[in-house]
Amino acid sequence: MTQAEIKLCSLLLQEHFGEIVDKIGTHLIRTGSQPLRAIVHGTGTSLDQVKKALCVLIQHNLVTYQIHKRGIVEYEAHCSRILRILRYPRYIYTAKTLYSDTGELIVEELLLNGKMTMSAVVKKVADRLTETMEDGKTMDYAEVSSTFCRLADTHFVQRCPLVPDPPESAEAQPPPPAPTLSINEKDMYLVPKLNLIGKGKRRRSSDDDAAGEPRPKRPKQTAESKEPMPDDGIYWQANLDRFHQHFRDQSIVNAVANRMDQTSSEIVRTMLRMSEITTSSGAPFTQPLSSNEIFRSLPVGYNISKQVLDQYLTLLADDPLEFVGKSGDSGGGMYVINLHKALASLAMATLESIVQERFGSRCARIFRLVLRKKHLEQKQVEDFAMIPAKEAKDMLYKLLSENLISLQEIPKTPDHAPSRTFYLYTVNSLSAARMLLRRCYKSIANLIERRQFETRENKRLLEKSQRVEAILASMQATGAEEAQLQEIEEMITAPERQQLESLKRNVNKWVPLVLPQLLARSFGRFLGGMGDQRSYIFQAL
Amino acid sequence: MAGNKGRGRASFTFNIEAIGFARGEKLPDVVLKPPPLYPDTDYKPVPLKADEAEEYMLALKQEFRATMKRTPYFMDTEEEKQEIERYSKRYLKSYKDDDLEWVPDWRRLPREMMPRKKLTKGPKRQRTKGTAKVPATLMSTVDVLKKIEDLEKKGDEEKSDEETDEKEGGKGKRKDDDDEEDEAADEQEEYDEEEQEEENDYINSYFEDGDDFGAESDDNMDEATY
Repeated sequence: MTQAEIKLCSLLLQEHFGEIVDKIGTHLIRTGSQPLRAIVHGTGTSLDQVKKALCVLIQHNLVTYQIHKRGIVEYEAHCSRILRILRYPRYIYTAKTLYSDTGELIVEELLLNGKMTMSAVVKKVADRLTETMEDGKTMDYAEVSSTFCRLADTHFVQRCPLVPDPPESAEAQPPPPAPTLSINEKDMYLVPKLNLIGKGKRRRSSDDDAAGEPRPKRPKQTAESKEPMPDDGIYWQANLDRFHQHFRDQSIVNAVANRMDQTSSEIVRTMLRMSEITTSSGAPFTQPLSSNEIFRSLPVGYNISKQVLDQYLTLLADDPLEFVGKSGDSGGGMYVINLHKALASLAMATLESIVQERFGSRCARIFRLVLRKKHLEQKQVEDFAMIPAKEAKDMLYKLLSENLISLQEIPKTPDHAPSRTFYLYTVNSLSAARMLLRRCYKSIANLIERRQFETRENKRLLEKSQRVEAILASMQATGAEEAQLQEIEEMITAPERQQLESLKRNVNKWVPLVLPQLLARSFGRFLGGMGDQRSYIFQAL
Repeated sequence: MAGNKGRGRASFTFNIEAIGFARGEKLPDVVLKPPPLYPDTDYKPVPLKADEAEEYMLALKQEFRATMKRTPYFMDTEEEKQEIERYSKRYLKSYKDDDLEWVPDWRRLPREMMPRKKLTKGPKRQRTKGTAKVPATLMSTVDVLKKIEDLEKKGDEEKSDEETDEKEGGKGKRKDDDDEEDEAADEQEEYDEEEQEEENDYINSYFEDGDDFGAESDDNMDEATY
């Protein structure tokens, strides 16, 4: 856990959950797991606020608790999980591309609320969809719940661990201080049988009933919620690992498309889709698939013969990047996708392109050279790179000082005398990738701070425009004349308007979303490819 | 090595020509200050990807952040109370959605998370008031406007005029009461914190129950609704 990561976590918590939650969360990240009383003491916050903040964090799966000996409950914040808040828009967008607006709203609601029961999600989404529809049309609950089932079937949403049923002899022993949540592997994606009947309700927003309507409605609503839903207690959350798996598959497919052609990428896509659910997200290989199976599963519109497919598969298996490997000859040839290898190559390509963009193509040449040859002496670098010795030294030292290249000393004699020592330059790709990842986190944090500063500086202007908008809206609602509206609109002067525009543009630019996206992902992948660094992959994604 | 000594150059244990300094060349000065905050870059960064998908995700991100601020999960430090309510503030209040009340599922949480009945009363009351007040003032202005419209229609019915006067007077009074109660609650809260350490709070709760919560007492006090 680096300072940059902690800083970024703190900013994210503050922006999404407010100051108090940020304080508690950051304290937990810094100190590791702690019991409630220590948190209260350590942060100097009132007990009630700490409790509420912890409730919020637990609700959003950012903090977990564990019972320790002597019945003390300890709370632990998960930094890597908090950093995933950065990727929420991406998850939501993915859901939209896969399952249209309904899927988008389901995932968005789950992310907004951390965890929800299925009935609550379906109701909320149906209401929201109804609101955007034309008058008279409504969204059926059944339709939303069918999309929900599809999301669960493809593992994009999963059940949260359940509270165990209280044992019969509850009176004999006192209940534990905290419930032990557990879930059966099989039930993770099991949708409870619900018959949700109804339609989304439109929120009454028009002015005429604003004063009178909501009051009598209120008690009715609470009465409704009194009777427990049949799926009470079964909470669902977005399965972020599954989303990451989807991102991974997509970039493998894209890489293949760039390297070979559309058809081969389609074949790889088919293979990945077939093994989507059978292969766990951290596995190094997909399940072996025979070419006959692949042929049967190709999309309908794809008219290629079995022969062409076999040729393509052979070609893919012979490719030096080894994205696809051949694991056997039965069934017309068994093929696997070498996931870790693919990720590692993608990450290496990203690393090289970063060196190229930051230090120029000649530095990149040196970098690639050291990467390929593993260990090189300075003299060898100068010769092999075919760059004048003085410049080559300069570049090499620059890369060394940026920690992209490391230096290995091998003394010939035990006294480590420089004249009798080999100095070998090498690329430690794991640490280089980690360093760049950390730098990404740092720059995201910087960008967020910059945006906050800019917003603070222009607070008066922003408030004014907000106010004018509010007045305009209320005037419009009461049916004001055009001239009146115009007059109010002119309350913001032209230079002010200009300033607002530029601010908006800049703030948009600083909303950190795009910049780290590629970097962080590829490094994570790369690290994932390095075998035992599996946990790291998820942090980066 | 030894040959380097006494030639005006710091002695190195190795041949410095190997790292690119020609014979007789000056060595760079020792740097004693930290590197600049914004160093120059040799190469211009590549422009950001800007396609429809990115734009959409950007919009999603901003919307998500704005929505989070309105959810009950967002805990901000309570603002210092200003003596005069600024007119400009009125339109800025992003009041939380009423239907978004959040009752944590206590079955899933450690028992110590569950606020004890007495402890929650102090802050809870404040909270409900804090959120309830804003719509209330807005409401009341709407009410008054409506009333005035009615009055314009009705013309010279003095009776109803008196009624509004009374009502408004009543409202003002109630507000005063609220303020007092707030202060009382503040004191109560501080007191509570000291008390909770010792856990012998039955006597206090006895007095507490006698307290009247005014107009807002009808909602469910047993569970903390955030």
